[in-house]
Amino acid sequence: MDHSLIVTQNDKVIFTSNQHWLYPLFELEDFLKQHPIDASELFLRDKIAGRAAACLMVYLGIRHCHVGLISQRALSVLDLHNVSYTYDRLVDQIQCRTENMIDDEMSISDAYLLLRKRAGRVKGLPVKLDAVSLQMEEKRLLDKVDLFVDRGEQLVIHGSNGVGKTTLLRAILGFVPLVSGTIKVGDYEVGSSAWKKNRSMVAYIHQESIKNGFPITAGEVVKIGLGNSRLTRNDAEMKVEVAMRRTGSFYLYDQLYNTLSGGEKQRVSIARCLCQNAGVFLLDEPTSFLDQRGKDDLLELLYEVIHNEAPTMILVSHEHQWAQRLQWKSMELKGGAFC
Amino acid sequence: MLEILSLPPIMKGLIVITVAGLTFPLAGLYLFRLNLLPMRFMLMHGAILGGSVALAFQINPFWTTIGINILLVVFMSRSSRLLKMDLGHISMFFMVITISLAFIFIYKFNVPAQDTLTLLWGNLYVLSWVEVTGIGIFSLALVGFQYFFRRHLRALFFDREVAFTSGFNESLFYYIVVMVVAITVALAMKLIGALLLDAILLLPPIVATFHAKSLKGMIIGSVLWGGVFAAGGFLLSVAIDIPASSAVAALACLVFIVMYLTRKK
Repeated sequence: MDHSLIVTQNDKVIFTSNQHWLYPLFELEDFLKQHPIDASELFLRDKIAGRAAACLMVYLGIRHCHVGLISQRALSVLDLHNVSYTYDRLVDQIQCRTENMIDDEMSISDAYLLLRKRAGRVKGLPVKLDAVSLQMEEKRLLDKVDLFVDRGEQLVIHGSNGVGKTTLLRAILGFVPLVSGTIKVGDYEVGSSAWKKNRSMVAYIHQESIKNGFPITAGEVVKIGLGNSRLTRNDAEMKVEVAMRRTGSFYLYDQLYNTLSGGEKQRVSIARCLCQNAGVFLLDEPTSFLDQRGKDDLLELLYEVIHNEAPTMILVSHEHQWAQRLQWKSMELKGGAFC
Repeated sequence: MLEILSLPPIMKGLIVITVAGLTFPLAGLYLFRLNLLPMRFMLMHGAILGGSVALAFQINPFWTTIGINILLVVFMSRSSRLLKMDLGHISMFFMVITISLAFIFIYKFNVPAQDTLTLLWGNLYVLSWVEVTGIGIFSLALVGFQYFFRRHLRALFFDREVAFTSGFNESLFYYIVVMVVAITVALAMKLIGALLLDAILLLPPIVATFHAKSLKGMIIGSVLWGGVFAAGGFLLSVAIDIPASSAVAALACLVFIVMYLTRKK
C-alpha cells in the first residue's frame, strides 16, 4: 500500500498512515504518546510537507525526514530547528490555506495550537450567545448581546465592577435565567434537557470557592470533578493524580484546601476542571486573591493547560493589565454591550 | 451497674442511643455544613405541633411527629423554591406558624400542654420495639445513604454551584439531605429531647472539625465521637443516676471544651 506517512526506527517501520493533510502527523503524535520512543531517533517519510507540516514535525521532535514534495517555507522552518532533510521536489508554496496562516513570527507551540484547532483536535467547545438580554432585579445588565467563542479559543471579558461580567458567566452555566435570547455550548442550548444531561462540559472556577473553610483535602476537591462517572477506585485515583500532576498540585493532595494559598487553590481548581473533562472553562476573577507571584504562576498554568488540552476558556477580570499579559482576544463589557 | 443495665428498658435504651450516636451525627454534619440551623429550630416546633396533634387525636406521637416534620420540610422546600426565598427565612416563617398551630390544637382539643412539652425532654426508656426497629432501619439507611452517595455529598458540601457544574443533581440532593435531617431531628428528639438533641447531632461534627484532616476524616470522627458521647453519656447517667439526655449532653460539652482548649494550644 502507498502510505502517506511512514516512520522508521533503525530501518524498521514502526508507524504508517494513509490519512490526508496533517492528520498523519497528528496520528503519529497519538502513537508517540502511547509508546516510550525518542522521536529524535525516528526517520519520517512524508509525501507532501508545507510550513504547517514542518512546524508539526519540529513540535513532535522529529530530527530526520524525507519529503516527496516540500515548500520553500517548510524548508526555512526545518533549517531553523536543525532538522536534517532530503526531498524529491521543491516548490515555493503548497496550495493550502494553512500555509499562509503561520507567519514567521509565530512560535512552534503557537503554530501547533493553531493547527490543532484547524484539525478539530481540541477539547474545547464553541460558546454562542444569540441576542442575549440579562437582568438582575430591576437593572438590565446585557441588552441583546451576541458573542461567539470558537472551539479551543480563549477570551477575556473585562470591564468595571457591576457591569455584569460574572452574571454573564453564570448565565452560560445556567444559573441565571435569560430575559431573551439563547446560549449554546457545543450543540446544546443552555437550559434544555439535553444540556442538563451534559452540563459538566462547562467547568467553573468562581471567586467564592477560595473562601471555603470546610475540612476537605485538595485531592477530595479534585475528585468532585469526576462527577457521576462510573470509574473504579484505581481509575478514579489515577485520573485525579494525572490532573493534579498536570497542574503541578499533586504534592498538595493530602493538604486541607482551606490552608492552601490563593495560587495553590487555583491550581487545585484547574485540576478539578481537568478531571471533569470539560470542554469549556469559565474563570471568574481568578486573580482576586493572588499576590504577584500567584498571578505569574496562574498565567503560566493557563498557558500550559491551553497547550495541552486546548479547552475553550472565558475569563472575566477587572485586572486589565494582568489580562493583557495573557495575550488572548479581549472584549470590554460596558453599558450592557461589548465594545 | 451491670444489674441495672440488664433491665430490658435500660438495655434497649443503651442499644438505641449507641446506634443513634454512631449514625445521627452524619445528619448533624449535613445540618452543620449546609447551614440548616434555622430549619432545625423549625423542626423542634414541628415536633411540638406533632405531639399536640397526636394527643388531640389519640394517635402515636412518634410517627405523627415524624410525619408532620416531613410535611413541613416538603412545604418549606416548595415555598423556598416558589417564592425564591432563602431556606433560613422560610424556616423562621414556618417556625412561627407551627407553634401557633400547636397551641391552637392544645387549646381547642384540651390537650394537656405539659404532656406535649415532655417531647422537649425525650423519653428513651419507653420506646416500643416497633420504634426501636424503625430507628435501627433509619440508622442503616443513613449510613447507606452516606456511603452510596458520598461523591454527591462531597460535591454538595464543597460548593453547590461547583456540584451543579460537575454534573450532580444538586437541587434534588439538597432536598433529600434536608429530608434526612428532618427525620433525624424528629427521631433524636424522641430519644434525648429537643433541647439536648444537638449533643448527638451537632457537637460530634463540630468536635471532629478540631482534628479532621479531610472530609473522610471528619465523617469518621463525627460518628465515632457521636458513639462515645451517646454510649458514654448513657453509662454515666446509669452510674451516677442523672437523666440520660443530660449526661450525653454534659459529656459532649466537656469533650468539646477539652478539644477546643487543646486545639488552642
